[in-house]
Amino acid sequence: MRHVFRLPDVGEGITEAEVVEYLVQVGDRVKADQPVIRVETDKAVVELPAPVTGTVTETPHSPGDTVKVGDPLLVIETEEKAVKAPPEKKEKPKEAPKAPPPEKEPLKPPKVAAKEEEGPVEPAKKILATPHTRRLARELGVDITAVKGSGPRGRITDEDLRETAKKKEAPPPKGPTAAAVQAPATAGFDFEKYGPTKRVPLKGIRKRTAEVMVRSVSTIPHVTHFDEADVTELQKVRDREKTLADQRGVKLTILAFLTKAVADALKKYPMFNASLDEATGEIVYKQYYNVGFATDTEAGLMVPVVRDVDKKSILQIAAELNELSRKARDRTIELEDMRGGTFTITNVGALGGAWATPIIVHPEVAILCSLRAMEKAVVRNGEVVVRTIMPLTLSFDHRVLDGADAARFMSHVVALLEDPLRMLVDVA
Amino acid sequence: MVMGDFAQGTQVAVIGGGPGGYVAAIRAAQLGLEVTLVEQEELGGLCLNWGCIPSKALIHAAGLKREIERADRMGIIAGELSVNLPKLMEWKQGIVGKLRNGVSSLLSQNKVEVVQGTAHLTGERSFTVESPKGVGRFEFEHAILATGSIAAEIPGMPHDGVLVMDSKDALELQALPKRLVVVGAGAIGLELGTVFAKLGTKVTLLETARTLLPMLDPQIGKVMERALKSLNMELVLGARVKGMEKRNGVAVLQYSALEGDKSVEADKVLVAVGRRPNTTGLGFEKAGVKLNNRGFVLVNDRMMTTTAGIYAVGDVVAGPMLAHKASYQGKVAAEVIAGEPASFEAVEVPGVIFADPEIAWVGLTEEQAKEQGYKVKTGVFPFKALGRTLTLGDEGLGFTKVVSDAEVGTVLGVHIVGPSASDLISEGALAVSSAANIEDLTLTIHPHPTLPESIEEAAEQAEHRAIHIFSPPSKSEKTT
Repeated sequence: MRHVFRLPDVGEGITEAEVVEYLVQVGDRVKADQPVIRVETDKAVVELPAPVTGTVTETPHSPGDTVKVGDPLLVIETEEKAVKAPPEKKEKPKEAPKAPPPEKEPLKPPKVAAKEEEGPVEPAKKILATPHTRRLARELGVDITAVKGSGPRGRITDEDLRETAKKKEAPPPKGPTAAAVQAPATAGFDFEKYGPTKRVPLKGIRKRTAEVMVRSVSTIPHVTHFDEADVTELQKVRDREKTLADQRGVKLTILAFLTKAVADALKKYPMFNASLDEATGEIVYKQYYNVGFATDTEAGLMVPVVRDVDKKSILQIAAELNELSRKARDRTIELEDMRGGTFTITNVGALGGAWATPIIVHPEVAILCSLRAMEKAVVRNGEVVVRTIMPLTLSFDHRVLDGADAARFMSHVVALLEDPLRMLVDVA
Repeated sequence: MVMGDFAQGTQVAVIGGGPGGYVAAIRAAQLGLEVTLVEQEELGGLCLNWGCIPSKALIHAAGLKREIERADRMGIIAGELSVNLPKLMEWKQGIVGKLRNGVSSLLSQNKVEVVQGTAHLTGERSFTVESPKGVGRFEFEHAILATGSIAAEIPGMPHDGVLVMDSKDALELQALPKRLVVVGAGAIGLELGTVFAKLGTKVTLLETARTLLPMLDPQIGKVMERALKSLNMELVLGARVKGMEKRNGVAVLQYSALEGDKSVEADKVLVAVGRRPNTTGLGFEKAGVKLNNRGFVLVNDRMMTTTAGIYAVGDVVAGPMLAHKASYQGKVAAEVIAGEPASFEAVEVPGVIFADPEIAWVGLTEEQAKEQGYKVKTGVFPFKALGRTLTLGDEGLGFTKVVSDAEVGTVLGVHIVGPSASDLISEGALAVSSAANIEDLTLTIHPHPTLPESIEEAAEQAEHRAIHIFSPPSKSEKTT
């Protein structure tokens, strides 16, 4: 069914806005809540999210056009059939899209409109919070518009925000693994009551992983920072140097370059190479750089460690990575090869997935996760071009590090990946 | 300044030393950043040198003259009054000088490097500064654009600084004009028009809009019209200036009014038809900083422009062109650069016009609140019912109005026209930005006898329980 997305009443007395740009094109599939258009009001530039999931069929404006509250911004064809057809008049076919019929239909503020329900007009109620509380929300990364206030008439208190942030940041350990390790949490469950089951003892690597993860999550306040690196140039470099690598019998991977970039970032931001000594209350800065690599094997997750990555060439790192992962899969790896790490990289790229929030290998303080590099349409110098984009996420121990540290560390890694020549020029 | 080929590096470059720029510079320095500020004229910008501060000095002096003239009703009889305009300007200039020195020493105490000259962006991370001493090159990690605004002109009436003045010229007049025509009855036109009317000039205000101050609560314009009349100022609404002739050094303005074409003679003309952002010829495009179709720099809530690392604040971005907005945004930009969670989202910008009586407002008007779908409850309290007003020798023209959400009681707006409205509005600003309940205003003691009692009583009047005005609920309200 055809859904006309109109300029919502965004409040603050705003009656019109200027189209800055569409973030989607005709033919694009959009998901509900995905930003689809940037408009500028006299207060600010805002990105408006799509109210429904579907395919874009019309983008009636050009950048610079002025639109009034209630004017169509975008038409989305949804898959659902019009069960309860909204009382929207059928627009005349082939009508110039720039001159929408001046319908006066009740407008809803964005939050309500997003739910695609028909109902009486409701004003965009003012959020009951003081400027201090609003700032705290930003500090905690909490969307204040989504918080239910516990104060009188729904006033949002600082405590409401802290509660929301706590729930968001440290989700309770999920799944049977953690529960099983923490003993009696599942004690009363009669799984067999509802059907047949099969019981397998938790042991070996699986058990060890469960223990390590529970210890990590229960002691380390995790925060995950997200970023993307444009690895188009890096892939070219990798492809060019492949011949040399092949001659030496080494499989040269992007991961090896990433490791080198991380080594440099660890030197620049040594607190990422640290541990918190909980017994003495000291931060231990390690002056050696050993990077562990989370490796998926049939037996489970293993983390072999490449030592002194700061002193090794990218090709050397690649060679060691090849060797260690082979050993891990063969289960010929020695325990010593999995000890002494100061930082961990987990590369889930090949396995798929857009984003992930990794858990830190205790007692390290951060872990970097690289995801599948994919071609994406991105804007460079005002033009949409195809570039290869690799998502990266960095979980860090908020006791030792702050969000700003993570942003700086990540930016440094991204900068090196995006400009691989810099590794030659600027990396010791 | 470093001359020649070597570019000087800085963490934060602030371009413009007005209330947006210098505040941003100091805040950034407080947060441990290394800051270079470029100013082409005087520190403090338009506000301190040729705007808010000097105009308020003149407004006070002109008001004082009028008070003395009217003091005989209190038994205070003064001799003959005269105005020595050069002396008044000298006193005003002394205030400006003191404040400018203050800004300068604050910047140096905060170790902000101040560079005199005109800045041009040359790329996403670099700019040049031209000054009589030469051209310096600079590179930055972050830049804050705070280049302010310039007075708009009217076609056919080019600014010459003598006959056709802008506000800057008017604040530096050395002789009182006999007849002054002010084109534009907005904040600047009303403020400066009032100054000259009180000092003895015959003032005519020409305004294109058919109502005075149409963006405000409609009653405010009505009060203001009466006030202008009592100052013998002539206000012509719906007046569109068509052209101007010079005859023997006198300006003759032709304008079309509601009742037909007319003309008016003036010894000076003050053009106060608004201001436009100063965003051209500064190399913004070389840095990829995009403007909207009205020439304002596009920014988001965190004051970021379309170029990463470059921020813009104050009159160059959309929104009211007010010093306190610029300063707030300057602080936001500095804090965002330093990694703090600052934002301009949902920030209330109070507006003030230092006319007589003063006008100040914050938040939504009753009409705006209704347009947004609120059920609105308002309370109004007239200043003439307040003891403090009368003891100040004020007749009590004006009122305080509180606009609230009838369903939950949230204060949505406060609108004041009356004595010291500029001082009173901060309580309204706190209430609106905190989303206070209207009961927060009625249940807070406002000391007696003071002007802020008008806010308490206006809030009470919304519930028909103001003590000092008789306003029982109507029958329909009683039943609820």
